[in-house]
Amino acid sequence: MADGPVISLERLDKSFRVSQREPGLWPAIRALFRREHVEVDAVRELSFEIQRGERVGFLGPNGAGKTTTLKLLAGLLYPSRGQARVLGFDPADRRPEFLRRIALVMGQKRQLSWDLPSLDTFELNRVVFDVPRELYERRLAEMTELLDLGAVVRKPVRTLSLGERMKCELVAALLHAPEVLFLDEPTIGMDVTMQLAIREFIREYHRRHGATLVLTSHYMEDVAALCERILVIDEGRLCFDGSIAELVRRIRPLRRVAVRVDARLDPGTESELEQLGQLALAGPPRLALDVAPQRVPAAVARLLALPGARDLEVHDAPLEEVMRELFARRVSVREAEGA
Amino acid sequence: MSSGRVAKLGALWRLGVAEAAAYRTSLLIWVLATTMPLISLVLWRALAASGPIGDYDQDGFDSYFIAAFVVRQLSVSWVVWDLDSQIRTGALSALLLRPVHPVAHHVMFNLAALPLRTALAAPVAIVVLLATGGISITANPIALALAIPAVVFAWCLNFLTQLAIGCLAFWLTKAAALYDVWIGAYVVLAGYLVPTSLFPHGLAEVARVLPFHAALGFPVELLIGRLSTAQALEGIGLQLAWLVAVGAIAALAWRRGLRAYGAFGA
Repeated sequence: MADGPVISLERLDKSFRVSQREPGLWPAIRALFRREHVEVDAVRELSFEIQRGERVGFLGPNGAGKTTTLKLLAGLLYPSRGQARVLGFDPADRRPEFLRRIALVMGQKRQLSWDLPSLDTFELNRVVFDVPRELYERRLAEMTELLDLGAVVRKPVRTLSLGERMKCELVAALLHAPEVLFLDEPTIGMDVTMQLAIREFIREYHRRHGATLVLTSHYMEDVAALCERILVIDEGRLCFDGSIAELVRRIRPLRRVAVRVDARLDPGTESELEQLGQLALAGPPRLALDVAPQRVPAAVARLLALPGARDLEVHDAPLEEVMRELFARRVSVREAEGA
Repeated sequence: MSSGRVAKLGALWRLGVAEAAAYRTSLLIWVLATTMPLISLVLWRALAASGPIGDYDQDGFDSYFIAAFVVRQLSVSWVVWDLDSQIRTGALSALLLRPVHPVAHHVMFNLAALPLRTALAAPVAIVVLLATGGISITANPIALALAIPAVVFAWCLNFLTQLAIGCLAFWLTKAAALYDVWIGAYVVLAGYLVPTSLFPHGLAEVARVLPFHAALGFPVELLIGRLSTAQALEGIGLQLAWLVAVGAIAALAWRRGLRAYGAFGA
């Protein structure tokens, strides 16, 4: 296909009709006769484009619309309004030619048959996705090797650990070498080692196949390690599109200048430092000042002038803190933009 | 059908057989849970000891209920429960992402369990055959030949009914419970407990044109030689008419349902 975007969304809306009632007996009885429904807008006027081979992460608080967007892109949901195109197809048509070129892996869902070995599902996918046997054998060998699966694929899925199961889910989803890979919380609930293994595997898949990756995760490390581009979605709307560094600077424009000291600050010096910025840590052992970017040189000079100051560090606010602010919804990116 | 499509259905069949084997104990319980015709057999046999009831004597009841047990075993499906839970939990998504129709998946999985289920039901049937006078099957070769499509259509009718009701899970939280209502009517009206020909006049005529009878009583009566060739053809025609009607409802419910599908869960 030509150079156009692999994924494009134009003013996409998705709303759900959800029944609701007050708690308690009377409302429960009343709801038997008259159900009250509310329209919930999961995604509102979402527009963006993703080019072939990009690695994009969706970030946002719970219920922001990230997973709904992924499901719309994979053709599981019909949009209420607007248009989505993936690989030139309307995803909601779920044409076989489309499904053979994408995959969606959901951390909290499985496609593997629960009581059978993963190999049985792999074999089914080999046939239904039209993967030639030779290619299938090669990919399977490659992936089981990379993921260190060994005999795991021969055990009934119900006996596998969460991490092993996720690895097998990934194999099942990637046997047909999809050009577009959607990942919804692929490392949810896993320990750090397992997260790392899965992250590495996804990176490797991208490297080998040049696939387009679209990922949601609550683990910032996933997003930081895998995605070069971030889309922040909040209340169904796109409110940021750019790199992680840009996102951090937009939400937390202050930079942190820190040194190691041996003694407490005297009140005079403390108030002097607070003229420069916010005193985040008042040591010992560490003294940290959050300052606007243009004040970094002055802050560096002043902190190094303190008696015994050493080990100078200058960095952006930690990503986790940025995300905590973002997810708490107190500071939305839009507000930060206006600030 | 293209060879690719046959290969896909074959792959689904193989996975379905593997799953059925994994769930053999559940299957056996299901077989035992559908032995109602054999209980009816004992009851009606006792009642007919002093003379025939309607057009059934003891041997007649033996044949009818053994045939009813067999036809029931061959025509069961359970797509309504699978679909209900898949829609509510969002597990349907995995099927929707494969380039093979989810309904084809369910058809093959339901069919794949039939051989194992038949093997599990066979000992029960054999014991009953030995304990009673056995079953007398139609001597009319045309009726016997028509019994094969009649059983196939009975399976299709059961499957499509379950599919249509299962699709209600796209909107309702408990579609499988609605199927219990259907089964309640089926037990009475299909000829599962009593041959419909023994119903009071008026009710019998109504029952015999309903889909319940088409899904059980008709193939049973055909198999044991209670229908003329003309009646057999008429019955097949009725089955096809119900298939078209139920199939259209199921297709509509499926298409509309997918639009309402929320792919719940994470």
